[in-house]
Amino acid sequence: MDMPTMAEQPVTDQLPGIVDCDVHPLFGDGIRSLYPYMPDAWRQRFLRKRAHLAGSGLTLRFAHPNGTVVRDDAKPEDGGPAGSSPHFVVRDHLDPHDISLALLNSLQSGSLCAVHASVDESIIIASAANDYYIDQWLPVDARLIYAPVVPSQDPIAAAAEIRRVGGHAQVAAIAVPQIAILLGNRYWWPIWQAACDMDLPVLLHVTGSEGVYNGAPMPAGGMPDTYIERYVTLGQGAEANLNSMIMNGLFERFPKLRFLFVEYGFVWPIPVMLRMDRLWRGLRHEVPWVKKSPIDYVNEHVWFTTQPIEEPRDPRDLERLVKMVGVNNLCFSTDYPHWDNDMPMQALRSLEKGDREQILRCNARNVLRLPRLGAVK
Amino acid sequence: MSAPVRQSLEVAAGPEQSFTAGKFVIIDIGRHSVGIIRLRNGDLRAVLNLCPHKGAPICRGIVGGTWPPAMPDALRFDQDGEVLVCPWHGFEYDLQDGREMFREKPTRLRFFPVAVRDGTVYVTV
Repeated sequence: MDMPTMAEQPVTDQLPGIVDCDVHPLFGDGIRSLYPYMPDAWRQRFLRKRAHLAGSGLTLRFAHPNGTVVRDDAKPEDGGPAGSSPHFVVRDHLDPHDISLALLNSLQSGSLCAVHASVDESIIIASAANDYYIDQWLPVDARLIYAPVVPSQDPIAAAAEIRRVGGHAQVAAIAVPQIAILLGNRYWWPIWQAACDMDLPVLLHVTGSEGVYNGAPMPAGGMPDTYIERYVTLGQGAEANLNSMIMNGLFERFPKLRFLFVEYGFVWPIPVMLRMDRLWRGLRHEVPWVKKSPIDYVNEHVWFTTQPIEEPRDPRDLERLVKMVGVNNLCFSTDYPHWDNDMPMQALRSLEKGDREQILRCNARNVLRLPRLGAVK
Repeated sequence: MSAPVRQSLEVAAGPEQSFTAGKFVIIDIGRHSVGIIRLRNGDLRAVLNLCPHKGAPICRGIVGGTWPPAMPDALRFDQDGEVLVCPWHGFEYDLQDGREMFREKPTRLRFFPVAVRDGTVYVTV
């Protein structure tokens, strides 16, 4: 499909505004929404196997205890599911919260591409899903920016998909659904090369498949029993991947590579960074491709979104945690329209004003590939 | 009241030929434990046997080389006989200058002056 390029796209916003790095859109009609964007033979295959009935939900033990992760109050007026209408998202979320850029991240696409579909199916689904959002969502409002999904099960195809859609002016990152191969592994190199070539950061977010399906990342220690237990430990995968990236020298091999960890919170990197640095001092010679302190690599190449913001009993402790992970490495996110959101009016109020503004408005502009905007005061 | 003047103490550590390259000889001098070692180039070092990190008897660690920062396809082994690895936490120290290696703000070994006179090695603490 024809796409506007960076050069053709007008600047979206001359005013400083909040950047929301995690908004979840939904296919209006499940996988059937993607059928118009597929070759006929694949459409017929999915129709014949009744793909729309193949649930991509969680097992019973991990079902949300209140029935759904999406907010009842975020359903559009037409009765569709929350997140299914770009017009409603703009009206309900962007306008009232002074959000100047909202990064769309489709978890449906992520779970289908991670493990739910076969490798060849996932390649078709990724392409169709990206065309769907580019066609149905991005023209609605220039504040909507998008992280196309890639078919992680085939890194060569994933790299081709990045190059196919990565030039679109409202594409600001790529979403890489995680499978059970740590991200420092050379399996991923074609994807990282394509991301660097297109100057796009890599967005990492759980897909919902973790700990449920064979081939998805598994929780450490054993199987959690409940939704809450699983949620608390979802950051384990992020810890393992951050460690893997650093210890495999990823940022020496790909100096332009940038990662944005989304919805893992931001306290977990602190002990990981401290431990990596401490052990690197003693065992550096095992990984001489790690040429400087792991903390330096994180500072230069890795960002973390804030939601779900941890809430220490003494709110003043949050400021120390923010400083430890790095004020410049935190990007605000809401997780709209999900239940566990952080909204701009109440988020990070206990921080110094300058730090809060940096996190809400500025840092994402250093990691996402965005149209050049006016300086943010 | 004047501050006490610290007196330096020079002691004979042993005959020159007893210090071979790459092997520490550890002796007590006053209240200090000191390791004396010959480097590949023949220079002698007298090192306080105390790791600046956590106080380990560092002179009982590995003396060898290391793998300097490099990608896998350019891996090399360097400074053989000039790198001291702490037996406790593995920090690497350069026996040429005493610095913790590859660290932006390195900790440092404490060296003592060494002299050779008439075939005998002397250390001053």
